[in-house]
Amino acid sequence: MRPSPIPLRRAARQILSSSSTIRAAAPALPTARRSLNTSTSTTGSDCTCGNGSSRRPQIQQLPKQQQHQQRSSYHSYDHPSSPAAFTPVEESILSVAYQHVPSHGFTSSALAAGARDAGYLDISPTILPEGAFTLIRYHLVKQREGLAARASDLFGGEGHVGARPGLSEREIKARVEAVTWERLLANAQVIGRWQEALAIMAQPSYVPPSLKELALLSDEILFLAGDSSVDPSWYTKRASLSTIYAAAELFMTNDHSPEFMDTRAFLNRRLREVNEVGGVFRNLREWVGFTATAGVNVLRSKGVRI
Amino acid sequence: MLRPATRPALAATRQVRQCAARFLSSPASPDTSSSHVNNPSTTPKTNPSSPPPNSKSTTSSKGKKPLTAEQRAFLSSALRVNQAGELAATLIYTGQTPPLVTRDPSLRPLMKHMYDQEAAHLRTFNDLIYRHRVRPTALYPLWSVMASGLGWGTAMLGKEAAMACTEAVETEIGGHYNAQIRQLLEMVSEWEAEGYEVGGEFRDLLNTLKRIRDEELEHLDHAVEHDAQKAQPHWLLTGVIRAGCRGAIWVSERV
Repeated sequence: MRPSPIPLRRAARQILSSSSTIRAAAPALPTARRSLNTSTSTTGSDCTCGNGSSRRPQIQQLPKQQQHQQRSSYHSYDHPSSPAAFTPVEESILSVAYQHVPSHGFTSSALAAGARDAGYLDISPTILPEGAFTLIRYHLVKQREGLAARASDLFGGEGHVGARPGLSEREIKARVEAVTWERLLANAQVIGRWQEALAIMAQPSYVPPSLKELALLSDEILFLAGDSSVDPSWYTKRASLSTIYAAAELFMTNDHSPEFMDTRAFLNRRLREVNEVGGVFRNLREWVGFTATAGVNVLRSKGVRI
Repeated sequence: MLRPATRPALAATRQVRQCAARFLSSPASPDTSSSHVNNPSTTPKTNPSSPPPNSKSTTSSKGKKPLTAEQRAFLSSALRVNQAGELAATLIYTGQTPPLVTRDPSLRPLMKHMYDQEAAHLRTFNDLIYRHRVRPTALYPLWSVMASGLGWGTAMLGKEAAMACTEAVETEIGGHYNAQIRQLLEMVSEWEAEGYEVGGEFRDLLNTLKRIRDEELEHLDHAVEHDAQKAQPHWLLTGVIRAGCRGAIWVSERV
């Protein structure tokens, strides 16, 4: 015997009506959240944080786009625009917190210690939306920005542009190696904590900004080394250098040799491998190109009108 | 000596020029005199190691205004698309030259002249793109293949078709450069109106773009003088190529 359809229909209607009440309730939620937001922001700006000083943490963040777009497009020398990656307050907290990294690691306790030392309340690191990852990003950004000065020391004070005309392929490669090594050495201070940092960077929500930083770093290294290729190898060079750098960084966390000699050897081996593979492809392309041109020319000499 | 058929195209060229000239002579424009003068100081620096002009002159009180994110996005897409365009142009002429010259050896100097100019433009933009750290177009191999194919294909159709191809491409490119120059001039005049200083970098860029625009329009004149309008069917060839150019420009600005 079939069950009567009426109870079923009633059940269905009930479900529908309940879903409509949910839907009706939904618009109320954002307004509630908005009122919450406004209340927090007012309290945030009203409270005086710090040791009775008039300094107040400004809860202002750069727009996301500005944070992540820096230095990835047109770089002007006359009209430089490098929107600071961090607001002054963030900067003041992070720069002090960074000193605590060797002892506390890339953690919220390092941030809290930094905030305290900078004269803010322990709670103030909550203005950093990404928590401990902000500290990691601070390390990545600062070390990348410091690379230009180190490179100009290395290459004899050529200023911000690493290039001079007539650098041979071999020289550029040596310079890429030198700059990459400089950047790896910049991790030495925090190397004991770097595995933790890598673990945080591997969390799904932090993967895109971490990869973005990696891309910016390899772009910076190649630019400082004076690599002026602007054809498809622009992409392959950056991709291979990023891979090598990430691998070397991971290797370095387990390297106990004096002055990280093993890491340097590792880096050199990887760079050499890339050169070898790249050389094979270049030769292959050259051969194909030559054969094709020769073939066309033979046909032309035979009177074929091509 | 012009045949009646060639007049509309020349008139179009003239219109583009006049429009540009009118724009250049507007009071907002910073330099009206140097637009047609290829004086060596206005050519781009081909030496990337030369220090950028950082010298701050004391004439302006406000100094130089940092570029906004939109302006940088515009400049990078402009340089990227220009590099892609000049790459395509060199390859079009490379593809066109052998078939054309075997049929009509008198075209050799013209093709060589146009190719040399395009190769110089490509070098200029390669250098600019490196200096200003702009990402080159990701579709570089695609544009290479398509441009070589277009050049060779039109040359195989005959001299008229090849010239029609040049005419179509250079018309689009001339308009495109004009649009860029217009936008740059707007940027510059905005800065000047607000009392900011304008860096030599932008004056150089403007002069480079103007010089290259004029050379591209000169190629257009050459093409029209060499029977571009006699190609059959002219409207179809130029229409398809111009649409393709616009599409390629649109894509290169983004990818």
